[in-house]
Amino acid sequence: MGIVQFLSDLLPETIPYWALVLLGAGIAFAIIIAFVSVVAIFSVWLERKVAGHIQSRLGPMYVGGWHGWAQSIADGIKLILKEDVILTDADRPLFKLAPCIVLGTALAAFVAVPFAPGVVPADINLGVFFIVAVSSLTTIGVLMAGWGSNNKWSLYGAMREAAQVASYEIPLGLSLMMPVMYFGSFSLSQASEMQAGWGGLHWYIFSDSFWIAIPSFVLFFTAALAETKRAPFDLPESESELVAGFHTEYSGIRFSFFFMEEYAAMYLMSAIGTALWFGGWNFPGLYLLEGTALFTPLAIAVFVVKSMFLVFVMMWVRWTVPRIRIDQVMALGYKYLTPIGLFLVLVASVWEYIKFSMMGV
Amino acid sequence: MNQLLQEPTQDGSQRTWFGNVYSAIRSTASGMGVTLRHLFSKPVTLQYPEERPIVDDRYRGVHYLEQDLCIYCDACAKACPIDCIDMEAVRHGKELEWKTFTVDYQKCMHCELCVYPCPKDCIHLGQEITHLAEDRSDLVHELLSYTGLTEEQKVRIAEAEAKKAAKKAALAAKKATEVKEPTEAEDPAETQDAVETENPEEEQKDG
Repeated sequence: MGIVQFLSDLLPETIPYWALVLLGAGIAFAIIIAFVSVVAIFSVWLERKVAGHIQSRLGPMYVGGWHGWAQSIADGIKLILKEDVILTDADRPLFKLAPCIVLGTALAAFVAVPFAPGVVPADINLGVFFIVAVSSLTTIGVLMAGWGSNNKWSLYGAMREAAQVASYEIPLGLSLMMPVMYFGSFSLSQASEMQAGWGGLHWYIFSDSFWIAIPSFVLFFTAALAETKRAPFDLPESESELVAGFHTEYSGIRFSFFFMEEYAAMYLMSAIGTALWFGGWNFPGLYLLEGTALFTPLAIAVFVVKSMFLVFVMMWVRWTVPRIRIDQVMALGYKYLTPIGLFLVLVASVWEYIKFSMMGV
Repeated sequence: MNQLLQEPTQDGSQRTWFGNVYSAIRSTASGMGVTLRHLFSKPVTLQYPEERPIVDDRYRGVHYLEQDLCIYCDACAKACPIDCIDMEAVRHGKELEWKTFTVDYQKCMHCELCVYPCPKDCIHLGQEITHLAEDRSDLVHELLSYTGLTEEQKVRIAEAEAKKAAKKAALAAKKATEVKEPTEAEDPAETQDAVETENPEEEQKDG
């Protein structure tokens, strides 16, 4: 059930349909931006804690009391209060528009994320396709930022980002083919529903196709790291070479938009991974509560915890693996991940065909 | 196939496609194992302002002075190669009225040369490791715990002065008797004086 349907049931029939659509979009946007802000704030804090503990430090400890929980809120307030510098030589329209496009596309992709049964901003039957297509639009915003900044480091970073994202779209798309073939659907919520068996543990990664699911997840995760510009693929913003890459010239709230986009994209990729490989909102024993008021909040909590765990794994990888060179990034994308993806698609299609034709599953 | 799955050697001569995939997965996995171990290990850092590092006994930190032992001999200030020690006191007989005893930590290099010449072993380099100051003048540390005369010192000075005065009086009296009656050795007034002058001395020793 979409938001528009819900609103048309709730409100009198005299309200025109376009108003309902606009209202629904506004509500969905407000909820998504609030959720993404909270996720970004929490992830920034978590990243700093994980980084600290991996390096035998403690990370933030003071702001807010308990283990510096309010550190990233304080940082956010600081960023909002900071002076917003726009260079004289910058291409002003592009410079101003870029952060909005970058964050906007990241938020738009959240529309198809299934948090719980029925809790999807828009249940698109091509959800996987939609998310991959929309989230890669970020590159356009990054290119605008790099070009608009009128700074060679920014432009280098943006060009690297464009090259990297264009290369890793292929293995990312190929890796998503395996679960799509298994579920026979592009819809993320349908995929989550199909993993409800075995008391909530019939996830794709534990299914009879697990021997395809595991390598395809590794492939997806590697490509997702490159898509979200996370280490070891953080060449677009590699601070040892390019100052800060495409957001070198940004400050204040515009910089925080880029920052939020990074964590939003991380969460989005983790959400796709959760929905397709790790059973979405399904968890052993959760089906017992179906029909009660507790079910939906708990399902959302399960989904969020699972995706936050994948976000944690991304951070874990970041603080383990050193950054690789641009030629190594390209070699990994084209020489390794793409052939592996093609091979896995072949194997998975044969396997799903055998299962379908011979065992009738 | 066996050849293809071979682990790559150090010089890369045997690198193969499968070898690269294998080594990438293996090295990433082992690296993530290392970081996971560190993630749950105890942090090695200290929460600095609350926790201070335990330094060695011989650590050369900020000076501290045992003021009651110090005899204002200036040996430490003379020994200091960069003249960062400055002291001033007024002598009242054996007692010292301290005015100031400062060390300028803008100059001090913690060479410990001020410690060795001290005849009373009363100046030390302590365990405090930081010189934090908001202003340059705050870096000139005052080592004295009190300045001026304490009540005890005042009492002792008063006693010493009384004793001195008594001695003087005794001497004057003796002189007077010697002048007046040189033959009379045992004068009752003189013995009385002697007893009076001896008494405070004993009290002082007891105290």
